[in-house]
Amino acid sequence: MDPLAAIKVTFFQECEEQLAELESGLLAMEAGDTDSEIVNAVFRAVHSIKGGAGAFSLEALVRFSHVFETALDLVRGGAITPDQDVLKLLLRSADILADHVRAARDGGEVDEARSHAMAEELEALAGGGEGGGSAAEADDGFGDFDFKPLMVSFDEAPASEAPATEAPVAEVAPEPSGRSFIIRFYPQAALYQKANEPGLLIRELARLGEVAVEVDGSGLPNLAEMNPEDAYLGWRVTLTAPKADIAAVREVFEWVEGDCYLDIVEPAAQSAAAATAAPEIDATQPEVDVMALIRQAQEAVIPQAAAPAPASLEPAKAASPDASKAKEVALDAKAQAATREAGGSPQTIRVDLERVDRLIDLVGELVINQAMLAQRVAECGLQRASSVAMGLDDLEHLTREIQDSVMAIRAQPVKSVFQRMPRLVREIAAMTGKEVRLVMDGEGTEVDKTVIERLSDPLTHMIRNAIDHGLETPEERVAAGKPREGLVRLAALHRSGRIVIEIVDDGRGINRPKVRQIAIDKGLISAEANMSDDEIDNLIFMPGFSTATTISDISGRGVGMDVVRRSIQSLGGRITISSRPGQGSTFTLSLPLTLAVLDGMVVTVAGQTLVAPLTAIIESLQPKSGDVRQLGPNASVIAIRDTHVPLIDIGRALGYRQNSPSPTESVALLVEGEGGARAALLVDAIQGQRQVVIKSLEANYRPVPGIAAATILGDGRVALILDVDAVMVPKPLERAASGPSAQTELAAPAPSLLKAG
Amino acid sequence: MTKTILTVDDSRTMRDMLHLALTEAGFRVVQAVDGLDGLEALDKAQADIIITDINMPRLDGFGFIEGVRGNEKHRATPILVLTTESDAAKKQRARDAGATGWIVKPFNPDKLIDAIRRVAA
Amino acid sequence: MTDAKAQKSARTEAKNRNELISFLIGDQEFCVDVMAVREIRGWTAATMLPQTPNFIKGVINLRGAVLPIVDLGARMGLETTDPSDRHVIIVTRIKEQQVGLLVDAVCDIIMPGEATVQETPDVACETVKVFVKGLLTLDGRMISLISLDHVLPEALDDGETDDHANMAA
Repeated sequence: MDPLAAIKVTFFQECEEQLAELESGLLAMEAGDTDSEIVNAVFRAVHSIKGGAGAFSLEALVRFSHVFETALDLVRGGAITPDQDVLKLLLRSADILADHVRAARDGGEVDEARSHAMAEELEALAGGGEGGGSAAEADDGFGDFDFKPLMVSFDEAPASEAPATEAPVAEVAPEPSGRSFIIRFYPQAALYQKANEPGLLIRELARLGEVAVEVDGSGLPNLAEMNPEDAYLGWRVTLTAPKADIAAVREVFEWVEGDCYLDIVEPAAQSAAAATAAPEIDATQPEVDVMALIRQAQEAVIPQAAAPAPASLEPAKAASPDASKAKEVALDAKAQAATREAGGSPQTIRVDLERVDRLIDLVGELVINQAMLAQRVAECGLQRASSVAMGLDDLEHLTREIQDSVMAIRAQPVKSVFQRMPRLVREIAAMTGKEVRLVMDGEGTEVDKTVIERLSDPLTHMIRNAIDHGLETPEERVAAGKPREGLVRLAALHRSGRIVIEIVDDGRGINRPKVRQIAIDKGLISAEANMSDDEIDNLIFMPGFSTATTISDISGRGVGMDVVRRSIQSLGGRITISSRPGQGSTFTLSLPLTLAVLDGMVVTVAGQTLVAPLTAIIESLQPKSGDVRQLGPNASVIAIRDTHVPLIDIGRALGYRQNSPSPTESVALLVEGEGGARAALLVDAIQGQRQVVIKSLEANYRPVPGIAAATILGDGRVALILDVDAVMVPKPLERAASGPSAQTELAAPAPSLLKAG
Repeated sequence: MTKTILTVDDSRTMRDMLHLALTEAGFRVVQAVDGLDGLEALDKAQADIIITDINMPRLDGFGFIEGVRGNEKHRATPILVLTTESDAAKKQRARDAGATGWIVKPFNPDKLIDAIRRVAA
Repeated sequence: MTDAKAQKSARTEAKNRNELISFLIGDQEFCVDVMAVREIRGWTAATMLPQTPNFIKGVINLRGAVLPIVDLGARMGLETTDPSDRHVIIVTRIKEQQVGLLVDAVCDIIMPGEATVQETPDVACETVKVFVKGLLTLDGRMISLISLDHVLPEALDDGETDDHANMAA
């Protein structure tokens, strides 16, 4: 596909996105959302469509989007109040706009009468909003779709013949007679501040005809008084351009009007010879001579504004050999045809999420069926090398591939979440009086759509936290020898089949003595607990570690890091922190790429089949009789090497049974929770490891405490997936009954709960 | 030496078109998707010329230009604004912010290169 | 008694009301709007859900989807059902969720206009009022018209919150 056709494909894809944005924005407004960002987004959507349509000369689309845009601009500016009637009109217009886009893409027809009527309604609306001036304004907008070059490339017509012959300014009729002009041009400092250069403007003049240039240096002060930022020089240019008109001359100075003193006179009777006092310049090589002249005078005064002369022709030269190619870029119906030939519609399709999910379900079924079949075949005692078994291996391979491919359909870049963060950072920086620079990396990293949707809240909270708690005030930073501006870095990357998201700040780091004291005060650890720095840092994730006394308005809102951890966990993720005092903290999230599959350990508990996520399991072990100790009326611990960890009977934890079986006849799974706490989970037997397809319980029923999700096993029955962290948390009633905290009790005999293992 | 042009536009179509026209004309092109992204891009790479859209999410063209001009490093970098011809007020606002000139949307490549030549030697 | 058959009859009657499907729980007969019914299937062993009210029998695999099963009798305050192979699950769609209703047996399709509907008399207790939105008389039988809106209602949320609090460690 030629590049232009490819861009056109992109354009139509983008149009679909803009149309969706437009619609959802208008719907939000209809629902009463008055956020100005929504109005802006709605306007931008139509504006972008118009811009692209103009580039591809899709006139009908341009025409309609222009009228639409005009009305939206007035809504945006407050001239039109977007009441329900207006919004209904805008929503209907959005539909017509969509018709136009699709007609332009697929070559179909738009209902002209409907489109026209709608455009009239929009114009009437706009007319009401701005006092009837809209029609004229609308016409103005179309004056622009002349794709003839305004000026012919300089190199194409280097001779002294004025190059402006072919295409004088489109809107202005050329005046018939050729003549000469005297231009007096005295730049002001503002002109240089906007990076304009007199030399380049004079070069532009030279493209209109023959120029004679005089430099007026009379304004130059003594070197000592000279301000390098100020403007001191003036120019008097005599232009002999038989076919140019005054408008063309003015246009050269269009950009600097207001930033210079400019006087253009056309001494009709006077000939160009009147300016013979100035050095004559051979117009066939105007740049070099003019530039050289100007630079001589200029260089000493405004060094930063003067670029090296030899480079001056580069862009023009580079452009000219490709003049024919460049013309192809003057986009026309050919490109449109090419697009259609190349397959017509864009390379992406929009699919109902439900359909994709149904497909994922079916593939999940396929995986289950394949597993069942493999089991049956194995039961038949067929040899692994038999053709049936080998065929099954291939089937398994293919099934996995299909599964991966289907999962990939749901994958999206994390950008959609990341892009909300800069604004958040600005707001929080403003609220806290801190100076913050946000750096983002890996915005293109893809992960399941559901993960993305549910990342927003925890990320928002963590960014808040990083700025509010992590970063110091500018003054503190300066005092600590750091730059005033704090750095927050948000990065995403793929690592070993998971997505890792890092939130890094270069602030003060975790205040360990304080965190430790809070944990002791809250009864989360014993005062004697001997903990490593890492363990102390991770205390902030513990449930009950309420930082209410230290939390400010911003991070607070009653949400602690334990809630962040819970939401990350509910996505099958882990969160860890590493911190260096005075240098900052790094929060690392590790999440599965998809919520659809999970590597699990299939276990039996009280006649029920459960799945424990493999990521949480450190090891499985067979408790020996001496290892288990009773601790208080309801709790027991198990010695694992030189530490004791709580022993939790899953059967009782989930209410499947009242009395636990003997640990020695059971199996213990040593698990680690998200906060780093460990526990041994007692189950009756292990069936094996398996990748399972996750089915939401929440969506199909409601959340069940202690259960993360469900799955369907090879025998066709539903099995529940254990929420390891939830079963590790002591139940509130028990805590209330047994004193300040069940965990404090546990922590006392062992050096520390967190130290365990 | 090949000149580097930073294009700032939230429309992928526009970015692609600018990229095509500018690379064919022999420029090196760096792209940014909005004003903030543009400022970040300038932190990382030097641009000889900047071409920016006005209507963009997060940080619009005016804010972007002010940001560029506020940085000593980029005070002399020409900034061209992509605009619609009827927006006289916008042109003025862009100029007040420190824009060097403007390119009328929809641009054609010749016009674009012309405009660039008017600001960059 | 398939959906297709039911729909065909509906068209021939051309009345405004939909037909109803009636079923037995104990010795009482109930009915629901057939439009809410997706399919009817025999009982298959459900996977127990921990910490749920007694009328939630667990979840089953319905062609790859996880389907919660409500013991409708227990839900309405009647005796809890001890399910066996002869029991039936009526798969219904309630709002956006699919829910399986465990009942003793399906009896009949009641055509539109075939039975007279009477408002639930005031004598009824609260539970009945929540679920029974009318009484039908047909061939001397009394059939309670069930509203499905409250089978998984807010009331269950309350119970669930308690369960949360009771979550064992």
